[in-house]
Amino acid sequence: MVKKLFVVFAIVLCFLVAANLFGQVKVNLKVPITVLVTDPHIQVVDTWKPLWEAQTGGKINIVLVPYATVEEKMWIEFRTKAGSFDIACIPGTWKGDVMGGGHVEDLGPYITKFGYPGWDDVMPGAKVLVTWAGKTMALPYDGDNHMTYYRKDALENKEYQAQFKEKFGYMYKLPIANWDEVRDIAEFFNDWDWDNDGETEYGVAFIAQQNTQAMWSYLDVVAQYTTMAGKASNFASNIFFDADSMDPLCKSPGWVEAMKMIQELTKFAPPGLLGYGYSELRQAFVSGNSAIGFDWGDIGIQEQQTVTYGSKVKGLLGYGPLPGAKKYYDRQTKKWVEKQHQVNFLDFGGWMWIIPKAAKQKDAAYQFGTYITNPEHSLLDVCGIHGYTGANPWRWSHFKTIDAWVRGGWGRESVTNYLKAISDILQDPYAVTDLMIPGASEYYNSVDTHLNGVLSGILDPEEGCQLIFDDWKRITEERGKDQQKKYYRASLGLK
Amino acid sequence: MAGTFLSNKGVKWAFLLPALAYLMLMAILPLVWTLSLSFTQWDANTMPKPKWVGLGNFEYFLLKDKRFAHDLRFTAMYVGISVSAELAIGLVLASLLSQKFKGKNFFRVVYLIPMACPPIAVAFLWRMMLHPDIGVINSILQAVGIGKVKWTTSPKVAPFTLIMVDVWEWTPFMFLALLAAFQALPEELYQAASVDGANGFHMFTRLTLPLITPVIVTISLIRAIDAFKLFELTFGITGGGPGSSTESLSYYVYLIGMKWFKLGRGSAVSWIFLVILLVFAMLLVSRFKSRELTVKAR
Repeated sequence: MVKKLFVVFAIVLCFLVAANLFGQVKVNLKVPITVLVTDPHIQVVDTWKPLWEAQTGGKINIVLVPYATVEEKMWIEFRTKAGSFDIACIPGTWKGDVMGGGHVEDLGPYITKFGYPGWDDVMPGAKVLVTWAGKTMALPYDGDNHMTYYRKDALENKEYQAQFKEKFGYMYKLPIANWDEVRDIAEFFNDWDWDNDGETEYGVAFIAQQNTQAMWSYLDVVAQYTTMAGKASNFASNIFFDADSMDPLCKSPGWVEAMKMIQELTKFAPPGLLGYGYSELRQAFVSGNSAIGFDWGDIGIQEQQTVTYGSKVKGLLGYGPLPGAKKYYDRQTKKWVEKQHQVNFLDFGGWMWIIPKAAKQKDAAYQFGTYITNPEHSLLDVCGIHGYTGANPWRWSHFKTIDAWVRGGWGRESVTNYLKAISDILQDPYAVTDLMIPGASEYYNSVDTHLNGVLSGILDPEEGCQLIFDDWKRITEERGKDQQKKYYRASLGLK
Repeated sequence: MAGTFLSNKGVKWAFLLPALAYLMLMAILPLVWTLSLSFTQWDANTMPKPKWVGLGNFEYFLLKDKRFAHDLRFTAMYVGISVSAELAIGLVLASLLSQKFKGKNFFRVVYLIPMACPPIAVAFLWRMMLHPDIGVINSILQAVGIGKVKWTTSPKVAPFTLIMVDVWEWTPFMFLALLAAFQALPEELYQAASVDGANGFHMFTRLTLPLITPVIVTISLIRAIDAFKLFELTFGITGGGPGSSTESLSYYVYLIGMKWFKLGRGSAVSWIFLVILLVFAMLLVSRFKSRELTVKAR
């Protein structure tokens, strides 16, 4: 009798849990939902689609587009309101246009109606990313920041360290302290076979190919020379515009210095660096061709994949925050401040899931969104168990569940260091946030184009920065300086 | 009689109307709509409605925007070199393959393959093959002792890389049209010329070339207009770079309209683009007509 009662109790409990998951609100799952997704996030959707369909009876149609065209696909939907997709995975850096333009659903009412699994588990940076004017406008999915990767077998090699010290008269720190050290280390390890594998290796690699997010490689350097870390204000943790006048900072001495530094680094990089988009960089770096690399958390994931990505560096990588600088330009005093410092920069900000205003199956889309981003499922997507998905850790629990990462192919020590590096950056209250105002795409196209002009030798650093400045000034004026200033100050948390 | 005429007229219109309606809907209306938009500012991602700016957009592109001028120059250079090269190579190939020899059908088919590939696939394929570090072409060049070439990463080389791919892809079109023209040439003329003592060179310059001039002008015009719309190769291979060294006018239009969603400015630049194309086409057609008259006069 007790046994029977126990079984009945267990069944009732299961029903209650299932019903509670969506606040006992019925969702229409008879009509398929359409998911707009880009590579590599298709991996996540493909993984969860059959399970979600089996569990809910719903149906998912996938529209897969390359990164280069996801933006136009999205905007065509926003303008035509055709309801061509119900949920989409988009970069956070577009939020100024997407959320500021009022094209997506405010998810607050959905959270109230259906609940959200583990909201307190979401890291503050990821919450900020999905928030616009105090409203939750997207579902968090990815924690993004650039970090430093270095080859431990090269940079921690005692013999090489002694040779380096003899050549440059000092010893670098690990993780690397500043861009001057990066430059010297890159020069030291450039163009010889320092890992004795019979192939020539190079000093440093980063994304430099036009039209594939190269501007963030440059902004990693800009952040160090243009501002100091602190509570965001016009003069601290601010690298894009003067928050009072809305004049671009692009030709400030800090930006120019950063342009000179990144141009210098190309001398110690693989010959085809300007052909390195994010895919090529990751592939090249895990195949072992450079001593230092800068990327999001993705190189770490691909490092573990010896078969799929042919990684030859598993367990050989060290991780750290972005290098700082020995000086920064203080716009208040209009003078360089000679001081070792470091600024974290949340490049790109991360991917997120949005539901367009014109979506036809909003409730079901929300349900699918929460299904793939809940703590348990998202952990499997970020830790490597599902391979390379493009999603990096963004929940507190992702950083605590080391065993899952080990199951994902990581060494315990490696993953501990990797997660510490990312967690330190994401928890930094003074981290510079990415440019997230309307027109971000156009602003960044200008940086991308002229940066490439400098790196390929068409322009000198001053010319490049002047051209970016001219473009940014024009774009700001065309979009309305006051309006842009309002958005920009809001993005810094200023009134 | 009148009744028959009316009913005939009615039938004609009944057949014509669907096509006219389709044309109006798909071509004329969008043209008029974009023309009206070109006088406005409409940043469609944040502005709910367009704002009238008069001739401001046209003034911007024609007088202020250096990028537009640069892209126009690059596109013109690209069209000039690629179409000339395709014509020259197509002429040689057609001339060779119009001769009688064993296996010519095989070559005819092989030469047509590039044209059958979708341009965007061609672009991504070449992008992979031309990658400076991991591309197969540089690997081969290195293996035979030639150093790596910065196919897509040098501002001096990249424009010619695009031209090279365009020539690879579209020479078959020239070849095909010219081959047809060669095969349609009247045999008697050549027999007569031979009797008169003309050698091969004379026959080619005095007979073949004048006779196929209308075909040459027509296909050059078609190819030039098509090449002027250069987009896929820029998009897929170089992204317009390095810097803006391979940015075509079409790619710029795409950026303005589809990436930045500046629909007013995008419409204006599209109209300027259209007018340039029309002028270009009219010039070529008028040259074609005058050349045709000259040939007839001869």
